[in-house]
Amino acid sequence: MRLQRTLAFSKRTLLQFRHDRRTLAFVLVMPLLMILIFGYTFGGDVKGVNVQLVNNDFGIQPGGTPGISFSQGIFLGDNISKHLDTETLDIHVSANASEARQLVHDGKAWAAVIFPANFSENFQWSLAYPESSIRPTVEVYLDGSNPTIAGAVLKAVSQAIQDTMNALAVTLNISQAHSPLAVSTVYAYGGGETRFIDYFAPGVISFAIMMVTTMITIILFVNERRNGTLQRLLASPATEAEIVVGYSLAFAVIGLLQSIVVLVAAMVLFNVSIVGNIFLALLVVMLLGFGHQGLGILLSAGAKNELQAVQFIPLILFPSILLAGLFWPIESIPSYLQPISYVIPLRYGIDAERSVMLRGWGLGEIWIDVAVLIAFAALTLTGSALLLKRKS
Amino acid sequence: MMAEKRVQCPQCKNIQAIPGASGEVIVVTCPVCGFQGKVVFPPLDQKTIPVIQLKQLTKAYGRFTAVDHLNLTVYKGETYGLLGPNGSGKTTTIKVLCGLLSPTAGQAMILGQRVPCKTLMQKIGYMPQETALYLDNTVHENLAFFAGIYSMTHDQFLSQEQTMLRFVDLERWRDALVSTLSGGMRHRLSLACALLHEPDVVFLDEPTVGVDPELRATFWGFFHALSAKGCTVVITTHYMDEADRCGRVGLLRNGRLIAEGSPQDLKLQTGTTSLEDAFMRLGGRKMV
Repeated sequence: MRLQRTLAFSKRTLLQFRHDRRTLAFVLVMPLLMILIFGYTFGGDVKGVNVQLVNNDFGIQPGGTPGISFSQGIFLGDNISKHLDTETLDIHVSANASEARQLVHDGKAWAAVIFPANFSENFQWSLAYPESSIRPTVEVYLDGSNPTIAGAVLKAVSQAIQDTMNALAVTLNISQAHSPLAVSTVYAYGGGETRFIDYFAPGVISFAIMMVTTMITIILFVNERRNGTLQRLLASPATEAEIVVGYSLAFAVIGLLQSIVVLVAAMVLFNVSIVGNIFLALLVVMLLGFGHQGLGILLSAGAKNELQAVQFIPLILFPSILLAGLFWPIESIPSYLQPISYVIPLRYGIDAERSVMLRGWGLGEIWIDVAVLIAFAALTLTGSALLLKRKS
Repeated sequence: MMAEKRVQCPQCKNIQAIPGASGEVIVVTCPVCGFQGKVVFPPLDQKTIPVIQLKQLTKAYGRFTAVDHLNLTVYKGETYGLLGPNGSGKTTTIKVLCGLLSPTAGQAMILGQRVPCKTLMQKIGYMPQETALYLDNTVHENLAFFAGIYSMTHDQFLSQEQTMLRFVDLERWRDALVSTLSGGMRHRLSLACALLHEPDVVFLDEPTVGVDPELRATFWGFFHALSAKGCTVVITTHYMDEADRCGRVGLLRNGRLIAEGSPQDLKLQTGTTSLEDAFMRLGGRKMV
């Protein structure tokens, strides 16, 4: 393999992108657009979720009660309601629990938060007799059809409970550990601040590289075949390996540019923080790009023109979007579909990107993903060199 | 120099061997049907070094045989025309010679090396039927790319680029995108890309299809200039007037060589005035 010949391919391809502004725009703007749209749609916290609040809690009147005395009385339902985050939740007070449930049932509200009549009483009882099975219970009647919204409601409710308990712990002089209502949440990663956009950004980078590299490679090689330039190359001293590696180098440059655009956009516009090593993150997308470039060359052999090439898009797009863990964790897709995700290379790219960017993991932790990506790239690139070699 | 020629009677297909010397024209009467024709022994010149040799070359696609036991020799500095109707095996022969197809049987040698051979390709220029250029690159970028592919040094490239651009009259268009060029200009650039690295052997697959008569004349000027420099030029065509300009032509039909010789030879041999008539006499069918 000769460097001069290999670089001739890279240089020509990059120059082509410089002249073909529209394709260059597609390469750089497509991932940017993606992260903007998804960032602004899902990126911020969920806001204004319609919630029905039913407070039937009688409370406890001031005065002595068994075990502990509450001199001011206690109205836990009211207290928690006041602590509910009114930015996330659009709270409508409702008198009737069954009416509120019906509204959720009819899709007019996302959730009904219901405090039962004996809520404060049970709280007092459980404080006095920690061994008893009686616990104060707030009912959250929830439309779980949108996991993001459901999660936001549950988070707001438990946050309100925690805030109430924190305040109460001071006034009642009880340690929080003994509070029967305390919600304790410990975040392993993300420090409780992880938003959808944080989760999504590593996925977008991987996905953009995958789509753009596959698409452009298919089209470039369909054109190579159709225009007759490939014939000319095969009748030249250039070897198939030089063709493949030369193109790979060009795509590495383009992929690098693309990743930087997306990363900068994510950091500047959405405050996405990158915990791990940025070079490792770039290495992962490069590997993903090489593999898909090989895939693109292989697929180009099955297309006679650009129209046929375009028909490959949904074939690659949908499994990747739906099954590779771009939006949803793979665990949340039906178990019989999960095995399919193992053969989608994007899965490993996204997984590795997320681990590096969110968890700050190093090569030692993501080596399986990296090994799979290397194997995928080696397989498709070797395959495509052999395919180009195949003469008749 | 004494030689022997095997000639086929155009009328009754009887084959006989005729002895003769270089430069001789012998009138032959067919012993079977009495047809009279002339056999020409071409005068001896420098063009005696074989550059391309096909021996029993066969290329089959499944049950279809595109090239059928083809034997052919092309000498240094020759302008050799592969002539034949569509589907006669011209392009397939060129593709085997350029290493794009592997022969099913037999062999093809260029400059003493058996094809396909990657190192040999350095000495070969190939202009495919398609324009075969990168449309989204400029004229200069296309040439620079092929210079890189043929391992030319920067200085070599710069001087050759200038020569070639002048040669094909595209100097003013050096920095124009190929997609903005007319068909004729693309054809000329395609030729420049094939000749840039100064190959010893050039294969031109129907280089003049879709080219206007004026440009075609220019092209033929190039080809003769190349062969004068000792470059061997193999051209496929189905234009008879073009075949007339070749030093020697081989007539192909159904993948077989049915006649070979200089245009005058073939006309003399068949007693005809045009190459087209000669081709018909020799058992071809109408070509255009």
